[in-house]
Amino acid sequence: MSTPINDASKARITSLDPARAKKLVGAATALLVASVALSIVAALVDRQRFAFSYLTGFVWLATIGLGALFFVLIQHLTRAGWSVIPRRQLEWLTGLLPASAALFLPVAFFAHDLYHHWMGPEAHGDPLIQKKAAYLNPTFFFVRAAVFLAVWSGLSLWFWRTSRKQDESGDKELTLRMAARSAPAIILLGLTLTFAAFDWLMSLDPHWYSTIYGVQVFSGSAVSSLAALALLTLALERKGILEGITTVEHRHDIGKLLFGFTVFWAYIGFSQYLIIWYGNIPEETVYFRERWEGPWKVVSLVLVFGHFVVPFIALISRTAKRSRFVLGAAAALILAMHYVDIYWLVMPTLGERGAVPSWVDVCGLIGPLSAGLLVIARRAAGGPLYPVRDPRLAESLQFQNT
Amino acid sequence: MSTLSYPHDDPAVRPELLPGKRDFRGITRQVSGIVEAKTPTGWKLAIAFTLSVLMILFGSLFRLVTKGTGVWGLNTTVGWAWDITGFVFWVGIGHAGTLISAILFLFRQKWRTSINRAAEAMTIFAVMSAAIYPVFHVGRVWFAYWLFPVPNQMQVWPNFKSPLFWDVCAVSTYATVSLLFWFVGLVPDLATLRDRADTKTKQIVYGILALGWRGSHRHWLNYEKAYQIFAGLSTPLVLSVHTIVSFDFAVSVVPGWHTTIFPPYFVAGAVFSGFAMVVTLMVMARRFLGLGNLITIHHLENMNKIILATGSIVGYAYGIEFFTAWYSGNPYEKFVFLNRAFGPYSWAYWTMVSCNVIFPQLFWFKKVRTSVPLMFVISILVNIGMWFERFVIVVTSLHRDYLPSSWTYFKPSLFDISTFIGTFGLFFTMLLLFVRYLPMVAIGEVKSILPAADPHAAHDHTEARHES
Repeated sequence: MSTPINDASKARITSLDPARAKKLVGAATALLVASVALSIVAALVDRQRFAFSYLTGFVWLATIGLGALFFVLIQHLTRAGWSVIPRRQLEWLTGLLPASAALFLPVAFFAHDLYHHWMGPEAHGDPLIQKKAAYLNPTFFFVRAAVFLAVWSGLSLWFWRTSRKQDESGDKELTLRMAARSAPAIILLGLTLTFAAFDWLMSLDPHWYSTIYGVQVFSGSAVSSLAALALLTLALERKGILEGITTVEHRHDIGKLLFGFTVFWAYIGFSQYLIIWYGNIPEETVYFRERWEGPWKVVSLVLVFGHFVVPFIALISRTAKRSRFVLGAAAALILAMHYVDIYWLVMPTLGERGAVPSWVDVCGLIGPLSAGLLVIARRAAGGPLYPVRDPRLAESLQFQNT
Repeated sequence: MSTLSYPHDDPAVRPELLPGKRDFRGITRQVSGIVEAKTPTGWKLAIAFTLSVLMILFGSLFRLVTKGTGVWGLNTTVGWAWDITGFVFWVGIGHAGTLISAILFLFRQKWRTSINRAAEAMTIFAVMSAAIYPVFHVGRVWFAYWLFPVPNQMQVWPNFKSPLFWDVCAVSTYATVSLLFWFVGLVPDLATLRDRADTKTKQIVYGILALGWRGSHRHWLNYEKAYQIFAGLSTPLVLSVHTIVSFDFAVSVVPGWHTTIFPPYFVAGAVFSGFAMVVTLMVMARRFLGLGNLITIHHLENMNKIILATGSIVGYAYGIEFFTAWYSGNPYEKFVFLNRAFGPYSWAYWTMVSCNVIFPQLFWFKKVRTSVPLMFVISILVNIGMWFERFVIVVTSLHRDYLPSSWTYFKPSLFDISTFIGTFGLFFTMLLLFVRYLPMVAIGEVKSILPAADPHAAHDHTEARHES
C-alpha cells in the first residue's frame, strides 16, 4: 500500500501551529501553579503521607524520562532507521530528566521523613544499619543524588540539543557523534539508574536488599516510556498533525516493543519473586509479605493483571498493535500501572495505611505530572515535530513491516 | 554541511551487507561446492583428531558407568563441580544460535543470514554436549529416563518443585524447537543439494530430507510464515532456558547462589559465551572454507560488539553482586564474595574477571574489533572466562560452607578432566560432519539480501538467475 509521504506537492507539517502551542504551554503552566498550591496544602495537612506520595509521583515521572533516554541512546547506538521519526517524541520525554533535577528538591526536603530509618537517630540503635553507614548516610546520599541528576540532565540535554542542531544544519557528522557518545552514555545511564533505585527506593527499607532491584526499576522505566511514546504519537496523529509522517508501521513497531518490554517487566518481577519465595529466608520474604497482607494483596493483584496479564493478551496480535484504539488503551493502562508499580515499591513503607489511596496521593502526583506536561508542551512547541534533516529520515518515512 | 570524518560511514547510506558483485548462482555454487567437493585431506585429518577426542569421552563415560560417579573428584562438601560447570558452559554456548536466528530476525538484522545456519547447528551440538552431564550424573544411566515424568505403577515421579526437573523441561523444549527451526530453515537448501546431486544415493537422501520442496510461491509463503512463528516461539526460549539454569542455584539458600540478579545475568552470560564461540568458529570457517566473502569483517565486527555489550552486562552483575554482598550486612554473603576474590580459589576468580570483564573491553577499539587474530584470541579467552565463571559460582560457594570443619579444596580427578575434554570431541565431530554434508550458509536467505533480490534495486538481471 502506498502512503502519500513521497508526494512532494503536499506540504508537510513540521511544527505545531503557534496558537495551539501557546495554548498547550499555557494550560500546562496553569496546572503547575495549581498543583504547587495543592501540594502545599497536602503537605501541611499530612506531611508524612505527602512525602511518600510525592516520592511516588517523582519517581514515576523520572523513570519515564530515564526509559526515554535509554531508547534515544539505543536508537543511536544501533544506527536505527525506522525510529528516526518517533525518536523526536522520545527526545521530548527525555526533557523530564532536567525537570527531575528541580523536582528532586522536595524529596531532599522530606528526606528525613522518607528515610528516617537510616537518616535519623533511629539508625544508631540498629547494628545492621551501622554496618552500611559508609554508604547510607545523608551526605553521601545527597552527593550521589546530585551526581545522578547531573548525569541524566547532561546526557538528556546534550542529545536533545545535538538533535535540534541537526534540524537546522542537516550535518551528518552529528549523527556519527551521537552514535559514538551513545555507547558510554548507556553505561553511565545503567549505573546511575541502578544506584538511584537503590538509594531512593530500596533504602526505604534499609535492611532489605535484592541484586536485581536496578534491573527491575529499569524494566518499569523502559515499558512506561514506550507507553508514553505511543500515547504522544497517537495524540499527534489524532490531531492530524503527523498525518502521513508516522504511519501504521511505526505504530506497529512501537507496539511490538511495548509488548516485548511488558513481558520483560513481568519476567524480572517474577524472577525476583520466585527466588525469594523459594529461598524462604525471613529477611527477604518480609518484602513480599508486606505486599501481600491486608489491602496490599489487592494492589499486588492489580499489578499482576493490569501491568502484565491484560496488556499481554491485548497486544499479542498483529492487528492489535496496528490498531490506534487497542494500542492507545494498552499504553494508557501501562502508564497508569507504572504509577501503581512505583506505588507498590514506595507505599508499603507506611504499612497497611499506605495501600488505601488518599487525596494526598493525587497531590503528590499532580506536581510532577504537570511539570512533565509543561516540559513536553514546551519542547513540542519549540521546534520541528520530527528530525526534519536527519540523514536517515527517508528510511523512517518509507519503512514497512514485511 | 561539514565534511564527514569517516566518509565510508555516511549515515544516509546503508553499506551493502555483502559488498562486491554477487549473483544467485555464485552463492549456490560456492556454498554447495563445500559439500560437493571431494573430501579434503584436511577434513579427514581433523575428523580423525576429533573422533579420537570423542573416544576419550566414551572411555570416560564407560569408566563412570562401570565404577560410579565416585570417579569424579566430588566429595561431601563439593557435591557439584565440573559436571554442572560443563553442563552450564555448553547450554550457555547454545544461546547465540537462537539469538541470531530468532531475536536478530525480529529486529530485522539482515546480516545474520550469513551466520545463522552455522550458529543454529552449533546450538544443537552444544545442547547435545550439555545433555551428557545430567544423563550420566544420574549414575545408573539406564534409569536416565526417570528424569522425565514417565507414568509408572510405582507412582514414582520427579520432584516437580525441583529446578532440576524444570531444567529437563526447559532444555528438552529448547533442543526440540532449535532442531525444528534449524531443519525448517534447511529444507530449501536441501532441495538445492538434491537437484544438484551427482549420485543416486545423494539424490535419494537429500530428496527425502527436502520433503518434496519445489520452490513454488506457495512453499515459500508457508516457509516464511513458519519462520516467523518459530522466531516468535524461540525468543522467550532464549531467556527461559538460562533463567531456569540460574534457578538451579538461585532458589537454594547457599550464599553466592541465592541472589535475585541471577536470571538476567545468566542469560547475558550465555549470549556472551555463545557469540564468542560463533566468532571462534566463523574465523575458522573463513580461514579453512574460504567463506570470507560471505562472512565479512563487518559480520565479525557486529558480533564483537554484541560480545562487548553482553560482557559489560556480565561485569555489571559481578559488580552489583559484590556491592550487595557488602551492603547486605550479612556476614555469610560477605564472606563468600571475599573468599572468591581472595580465598584459595582467587586464581580462578581473577581468571574469570580478566577474561570476561577486562579483555572484551578491548573491543571498544575499532582496530581490535576488526582484527581477525585479536578477535580470535579474545573469543577463546571469553569462553575460558565463562567456563571459570560457572566453576567459581559452583565451587567457591560450596567448598567453604557454614561448618568450617567440613571446608575442603576441590581438585578435579582425571575423569573430570577427560569427560570435559571429551565433550569437545563430540561437539567438533558433529560440526565437522555438519560442514561436510549440509550447506553451512543459508543459501536461500543470503540470496534474499542481495540487490538482485530487491525488485527496486539497480542490478543486472542475469544476477537474479538461478541454476537451471
